Amino acid sequence: MKKFVFYPGCVMQTEQYALDLSLREILPKFDVELVDVQGFSCCGEPLKSVNQMLSVSLAARNIALAEREGLDMFVPCPMCHLAMSECKRILDSDEEMKQRVNTFLKDDALTYTGKATLVSILDMFHEVIGLEKMKKKVTQPLDSLKVASHYGCHLIRPSEIGRPDDAENPQKMEQILSTIGAKPEDYPEKLDCCGALLNANLPETALTKTGQKLQKIEEYGFNALVDVCPWCHRQFDARQKKAGETVAAKLNVPVVYLTQLIGLSIGISEERLGLNLNLSPVEALQNGGN
Amino acid sequence: MTNKIGVFVCHCGINISQTVDVKALTTYAKGLKDVVVSEAYKYMCSDSGANLIKESIRKHKLDSVVIACCSPRMHEHTFRNVVESGGVNAFNLEIANIREQCSWVHNDKEKATEKAKALVRGAVAKARFLEPLEPSKVNVTPEALVIGGGIAGIQTALEIADKGYKVHLVEKTPSIGGRMAQLDKTFPTLDCSGCILTPKMSEVANHPNIDLLTYAEVKEVEGSIGNFTVTVTKKARYVDLDTCTGCGDCVQACRLKGRISSEFDEHMGKRSAIYMPFPQAVPLKCTIDVSTCLMLTKGKCGAGPLCVEACEPGAIDFDQKDEDIALNVGAIVAATGFDLIDEDIVYEYGYSRSKDVITSLEMERLINSSGPTGGEILLPSTNEKPKSITYLLCIGSRDENACSWCCRIGCMSALKQLYLLREKLPDVELNLCYMDIRSYGKKYEEFYRTVRGINSNVFRGRPSEVRKNGEKLVVDVFDTTTGKLFEISSDMVVLVPAIVPRDDAGDVARMLRISQSNDGFFLEAHPKLRPMDTATGGIFLSGSCQGPKDIQDTVAQASGAASRVVTILSNDTLEVEPLIACVDEDLCSGCGTCISVCPYQAIDLMKMDDGKSSAKVNEALCMGCGACAASCPSGAMQQKGFKDTQMIPIIDEMI
Amino acid sequence: MSIIDLTSMGEPQTDMKDEINKRLLTLKDEFSEYCYQCGKCTSGCEAHKLLELEPHKIIALLKRGLIDELVNSDIIWTCMSCFKCRERCPQKIAPVEVLFALKNMVVASGKQIPGNYSMYLQMVLSKGLLQDEKEISTRDNKTLKRADLGLPEISKPVDMAKFMGMLSKLAMEKV
Ligand SMILES: Cc1cc2nc3c(=O)[nH]c(=O)nc-3n(C[C@H](O)[C@H](O)[C@H](O)COP(=O)(O)OP(=O)(O)OC[C@H]3O[C@@H](n4cnc5c(N)ncnc54)[C@H](O)[C@@H]3O)c2cc1C
Ligand code: SF4
Ligand code: SF4
Repeated sequence: MKKFVFYPGCVMQTEQYALDLSLREILPKFDVELVDVQGFSCCGEPLKSVNQMLSVSLAARNIALAEREGLDMFVPCPMCHLAMSECKRILDSDEEMKQRVNTFLKDDALTYTGKATLVSILDMFHEVIGLEKMKKKVTQPLDSLKVASHYGCHLIRPSEIGRPDDAENPQKMEQILSTIGAKPEDYPEKLDCCGALLNANLPETALTKTGQKLQKIEEYGFNALVDVCPWCHRQFDARQKKAGETVAAKLNVPVVYLTQLIGLSIGISEERLGLNLNLSPVEALQNGGN
Repeated sequence: MTNKIGVFVCHCGINISQTVDVKALTTYAKGLKDVVVSEAYKYMCSDSGANLIKESIRKHKLDSVVIACCSPRMHEHTFRNVVESGGVNAFNLEIANIREQCSWVHNDKEKATEKAKALVRGAVAKARFLEPLEPSKVNVTPEALVIGGGIAGIQTALEIADKGYKVHLVEKTPSIGGRMAQLDKTFPTLDCSGCILTPKMSEVANHPNIDLLTYAEVKEVEGSIGNFTVTVTKKARYVDLDTCTGCGDCVQACRLKGRISSEFDEHMGKRSAIYMPFPQAVPLKCTIDVSTCLMLTKGKCGAGPLCVEACEPGAIDFDQKDEDIALNVGAIVAATGFDLIDEDIVYEYGYSRSKDVITSLEMERLINSSGPTGGEILLPSTNEKPKSITYLLCIGSRDENACSWCCRIGCMSALKQLYLLREKLPDVELNLCYMDIRSYGKKYEEFYRTVRGINSNVFRGRPSEVRKNGEKLVVDVFDTTTGKLFEISSDMVVLVPAIVPRDDAGDVARMLRISQSNDGFFLEAHPKLRPMDTATGGIFLSGSCQGPKDIQDTVAQASGAASRVVTILSNDTLEVEPLIACVDEDLCSGCGTCISVCPYQAIDLMKMDDGKSSAKVNEALCMGCGACAASCPSGAMQQKGFKDTQMIPIIDEMI
Repeated sequence: MSIIDLTSMGEPQTDMKDEINKRLLTLKDEFSEYCYQCGKCTSGCEAHKLLELEPHKIIALLKRGLIDELVNSDIIWTCMSCFKCRERCPQKIAPVEVLFALKNMVVASGKQIPGNYSMYLQMVLSKGLLQDEKEISTRDNKTLKRADLGLPEISKPVDMAKFMGMLSKLAMEKV
């Protein structure tokens, strides 16, 4: 059993329950134990526009909480993972900034040291568990499911601070998908943004971006769009209908979390994977995409 | 022991005097033991400075000289001549580097002056123990080695050979010609590359003074200026060069005909396993590709090798082996040329994602009438004519994530190709995205103007990526001239890639003991004043292995390198520095440690008259690296000019 | 100053420019002066395709020191944080990070912040999270709470007073 502190972030634990649920369901099957810790807050990234000192300190505070448990930290949300990776990069290379941030954390009786390693959702499967081990557990391969992957900007960029996969040609998600029997295919818009971050001030434009990408995916004839980010998923799945309206199209793209597909492939029930929480037409998946 | 030392302090304009109190330093030096004169001057390396030194030597009957000035790398040679002509042995000179090691790296004048005093104090301490040395002479082998048979190597080899010296020209591939042989027409004059290159190639083949070694590589280089010993591996061609007539019957017969990707055609065309890279190849002989030939990989080729059957003169020999040969030369020229950047480093431009994204060198092969398509411009994916072609400049160049440098030929080669394409395909849509057009050479800007008149769409902006949209390749570019974002859909995208050193440049540099600049190209001794020399005596650079160059600049440098080589070969003997190792035979225990560390095999063990053994240095082979002196457990091995008795006083004085 | 923008009579604000450059140097080794206006950032900008954001122009204005023109414009709030500009800039410049710096400047100067950003801030200040736990609807239109799914309680700051204290101090800080 490998143990990790589970950092849930905001969007996943307050709204995107399917991701939360499916992770908790499948990880123990791969001998990974998640430790829930009270006291976490927002990762800071959504407030970067407002005050980056604040956002770096929030990230540091969360890491410090995990460090107190003496465990590494599993950060499934790509945006949170970005915030914390960036915080780590800044504080680990700049003693002065580290001290400044730590003076604030003192109020909360916390210290950032830099000990804990951050594990992203991709690397949890690709590195920590490993494809070999995953393959052994697959009982219901997702045969013939032609899927498009969406990594989300924050999982692959900026590579300068170290991201889980290559910025221009990420393939880990494809490898995981192939392992569970699906047929992932690259498409030109793979690296494009979902638009989610414009929701704060320009929700219409955000939806246009979402709609445009979904339209392309539909055009290419994919059976489903697979994502890992609760922000992206909210755009593609929950807001699909509205997104369609902004681009004057009726969209019909099943959108699923990678973890849900993994769950299906190892024989976990749809219900336990929260598949009924997806608002896009995922029924199509239930018979292998046909 | 010398006890009449003169100290000369240079201001170096204000380079030194701004940070070091030269007056105080001069006065201080005067007070040191054995110093009989101490003087300062604005530029010690000038004629007047030299005269000042010479006069002081005469007046004060000096036996050693200390000069506090710039690095010995800069002016040691100058000052040795000065003291020699003043009447002191050239090696009774010690330089205190108070510029690079002091004034240039400090701000605090007071502390810098103290450091300069310590440096001078140390130099004087050593000067007391300097001894006169005489340079030794070595014979010069009047032959040269040129590595690389592109236009640079060809030009260098021909010019040395024309002067009457023997040249060994070693080329890695089956034919000489290099990149220039792959090109169609050349900017800015649009003369056909082959037409101007081929005559030179056959001149090489027929020159009585040129020993052409193709399909060969230099394996080892030993020795030094005037006398290098070189081992060259002639790779097995599996074809006997003397017997092969170059008829090409075997190429037609080969079972794998048209199935092997052709390197010369930049993989745009196919060849056989037995092949001549191109019709004008020199030598015009066949080579069997060991990695694909069925006989050589599987041990059998159908019922029997078809090439052997087809070859009337019987030139094919599957038993051929690689063969090492030894050469003795007086000078070496590196002319190994350049490569193109690995396109995956700039993955966003889609080279690996679409066959119709090609490099400009691949385009040269398509335009060339002896190329794989007979000069027709065809889309690699469909073999159809493109209706639109888009050029992207600076792919990987001027890019901190790839190559920081400018490739110097990209703009001009792209403009040239636009011009040639417009001639071939009057109706094709031609687009080009650039950042700056660099048309700096003679007649280049005029050529750029001509191309502006041929109906093409030019955008000033760097696209972010190339993506596929159905059959088309789409490029979005923000054009900073109009301030608008344009979407360009075309059938073909041509990338103008960054120019990088050959991937074995590091190995070649190590073998030749020369340096590379941080871009990986070979480093010249001085970027302005000694562009063909390297820091290693007797080794020179020719063409684009030193940095990206067009043909004009390549040839200019190639001729320069040839004349540098001839300067050496035209001497019967050369003086070599006497700063080499020497043994105190009484102290030597004959343990042989020095022999095992000497990289030049310059030390042997000799039986002495009294029966014991002692190390003996071969002065012609010793390079003065000092490895033996440092490793000798008994202190018997010393390096002239750097003996323990000379170095330890420096340390004692300074600390 | 010897340089004036005749369209706005604006003058370079070197102090503010230096402040931004210093911040970028602290957060990442970035120096906007190296920008050579190739436009690669704008060619690929996700926001530019829908809105008026021109990242290369942001850098150009920063290099000129015309900071007021930048902070007074809503355009700086249209970035989608896709990081394509930072990823692909051949001079390792990150327009996206410059935009964060400019937005931070606007906030620090007390100017009006567009959209929901102030609400985000309020939520994090008071609850520690961006939003409250939501009831969601399923595809077959049932309404569910987190607990209905058997999920554990959410994790949020335990001692809210302490947390708020820390945050309100931080809100006054600059990088
Ligand atoms: C697409 C393109 C278009 C161009 N168009 C023009 C033009 O129109 N006009 C113009 O002036 N210039 C043009 N150039 C530039 C021109 O190609 C170069 O200036 C020229 O080829 C440089 O010659 P070189 O001999 O230095 O190098 P190369 O041509 O690279 O020759 C080097 C030779 O050394 C050999 N070699 C390499 N390593 C070893 C080794 N270890 N041992 C033995 N041999 C070795 C290689 O096989 C090769 O034969 C163009 C370049 C490109 C890429
Ligand atoms: S920021 Fe970078 S990509 Fe944008 S114009 Fe400047 S150099 Fe080009
Ligand atoms: S991060 Fe912002 S400015 Fe940069 S490319 Fe994306 S949307 Fe444009």
